[in-house]
Amino acid sequence: MKRFVGMWLVIGAVLVGMVLLFQGFYLLAGLGAVVAARLGAPPFYGSAIANTITLMAVLLMTVAALLTVAERKWSAAMQDRIGANRIRVFGTALGGVPYLLADALKMLTKEATYPAARSRLLFELAPVMAFAPTFALFAVVPVGPELEVFGQKVALVVANPDVGLLWIFALAGLSVYGTTLAGWASNNRAGLLGGVRAASQMISYEVSLGMSLVGVMLAYRTINLSDMVLLQGNAVLGPVPALGVLLQPLGFLVFFTSSFAETKRAPFDLPEGESEIVGYFVEYSGMKFGMMFLAEFMEVVILAGVVTAVFLGGWHPVIFEGWLRANLPPMLFAGVCAASFLVKVILLCWLQLIIRWLLPRFRFDQIQALCWKMLLPGALLNLFVTGAAVLLDPSLQLLAWIGVAEIVAIFGVTAAAARTPEASQHGHDQGHAAHAAGH
Amino acid sequence: MAYQIENQPADVRESLYFPEIFRAIGIVVRTFWRNAFFSRDANPDVISRDLSHSRVTTIQYPEEKMAYAPGYRGLHRLVPRADGSPRCVACYMCATACPAQCIYIEAGEVEGDPIEKVPTRFVIDELRCVVCGFCVEACPKDAIRMDTGEHPPPTYDRVGQIYDEKRLLRGPPVSYDYDPWLRRSAQIPDAAMKKMRDLARPFAKDAKDEFSQTPGFSVRTLASEAKGRAEGGKQ
Repeated sequence: MKRFVGMWLVIGAVLVGMVLLFQGFYLLAGLGAVVAARLGAPPFYGSAIANTITLMAVLLMTVAALLTVAERKWSAAMQDRIGANRIRVFGTALGGVPYLLADALKMLTKEATYPAARSRLLFELAPVMAFAPTFALFAVVPVGPELEVFGQKVALVVANPDVGLLWIFALAGLSVYGTTLAGWASNNRAGLLGGVRAASQMISYEVSLGMSLVGVMLAYRTINLSDMVLLQGNAVLGPVPALGVLLQPLGFLVFFTSSFAETKRAPFDLPEGESEIVGYFVEYSGMKFGMMFLAEFMEVVILAGVVTAVFLGGWHPVIFEGWLRANLPPMLFAGVCAASFLVKVILLCWLQLIIRWLLPRFRFDQIQALCWKMLLPGALLNLFVTGAAVLLDPSLQLLAWIGVAEIVAIFGVTAAAARTPEASQHGHDQGHAAHAAGH
Repeated sequence: MAYQIENQPADVRESLYFPEIFRAIGIVVRTFWRNAFFSRDANPDVISRDLSHSRVTTIQYPEEKMAYAPGYRGLHRLVPRADGSPRCVACYMCATACPAQCIYIEAGEVEGDPIEKVPTRFVIDELRCVVCGFCVEACPKDAIRMDTGEHPPPTYDRVGQIYDEKRLLRGPPVSYDYDPWLRRSAQIPDAAMKKMRDLARPFAKDAKDEFSQTPGFSVRTLASEAKGRAEGGKQ
């Protein structure tokens, strides 16, 4: 009971902390804009620099680093274990967070070994190529709404290019280079195998990743992520807002699955395959390995961010939004919006970790079959249906009803368990006994 | 627990793959929330833990220890009498029975007692011990037991694993009504004591025991041979 209350207190404190933190971010962005305006540059430059520091260097890195701890503790909770708790600060394990420091220290002080026959330049380049595109991917994800701070309009987004989604495709495609180069440059057959697997898997899933988002582009008629998030606040079915997941449940499913494959984590972790080939980073040690490791977790956070922005309404708090907008001061409301974005991201990361610990690894042919035989046809079907629905009814109501029908169908199929485990086991035992009696 | 796995081909719904995954996610999420939000029952007896909230079955080992079964052979102890002296009478039975030869005993006399022996040294090398429990079975006085329920704790050097009588003598004292030292309360006169001591000498000067008279077998010869071997080995 003490733990129950304590957990809710911690969650509440974290939520309040998030709101305060994002208000601070807004102030910094406004300050940057003011400084840039003083210097005669467009104010957007200043807020972009402030946002790069606050959102990418602080927020993204912190969440990704905390995710390494969360992976230990959350997987432990899923498997009836306790998880990392031996580092104690003043008698408490602090939820395993001190392990973050321990891991970082270990990575940084570890000896860096090099294979003698490596391809020198590419070997050094590969971790950067894995890290940088992933990192830059976050630039277009809108974290918070636009707000007037110190007389300047700022938003919690680093860059707001009109090519938003295309930027995501381009950089997600670039991150293949990191893994493939790492595998090839380390001149190790296991590493090369991992790199080749990574290349084929990521390139395959890139197709369904792109196709699943075309439906969203059709529905919202834009590929600018900030506009897309704004449009998701409009009501479509009575008070229900036009969330991406409502309009495009199938697209959401396909995109989420494909983004899973892009992160190269279980059940799609064939490029790593700890039990057979260690993977494309087999020859990397120390912080070079750490960068690849961190890049993987950053991919988890960023893809959760993209899914949130495209399908889950981005920074819209969704529930009580009208009331909050009317009753809170704009600064606080913006903070609540950004915090609700972060909450959605963390929940999605949590879901990804659950799936990562739930499912066993696919065989390679199963990975390709899932991509080309299920996800791609599903995405294409979704594309045609969406196109037709948008043509027939530009107000998106028809599309929303189709989405509702899809969600109901998915839930129905899931709930309709064809055979319960107990009954089938009983039947089997009987059959077994009869079989034995026959002998 | 073994259970039968049903080997039927997947039906349409199962081969859709996603619905079954959704169901599995539901199961895992439920387990997650139970374990994350409710504290663990820390009962070291895992079987009887209350799993209605948290299902964590971990035992935090060095802090929490599972109770061993009653027959568990743990670290040895020398059983004390009620007055704190060891029950051991230095009969060498355990040292003789020990297949690993890890027990070393030096016998000594009890001050003022003509009969009784005590171990002045009683050393067990826990690194050589094979934990067979033969010493416990061999002991006629119930003086050595393995009922501590502990492992030999780890040490940084081998010396730490050699347990002498001071470390071994611990635990609850044991007493039986028929223990001879409890019944022997009368003081023995000095003359009787001297006579008993003379008789109690292991070998008389002119040996008349049956073994010494058997041709080709003499305890004294064997002993002197062994002594010679030992000294020869030293040189």
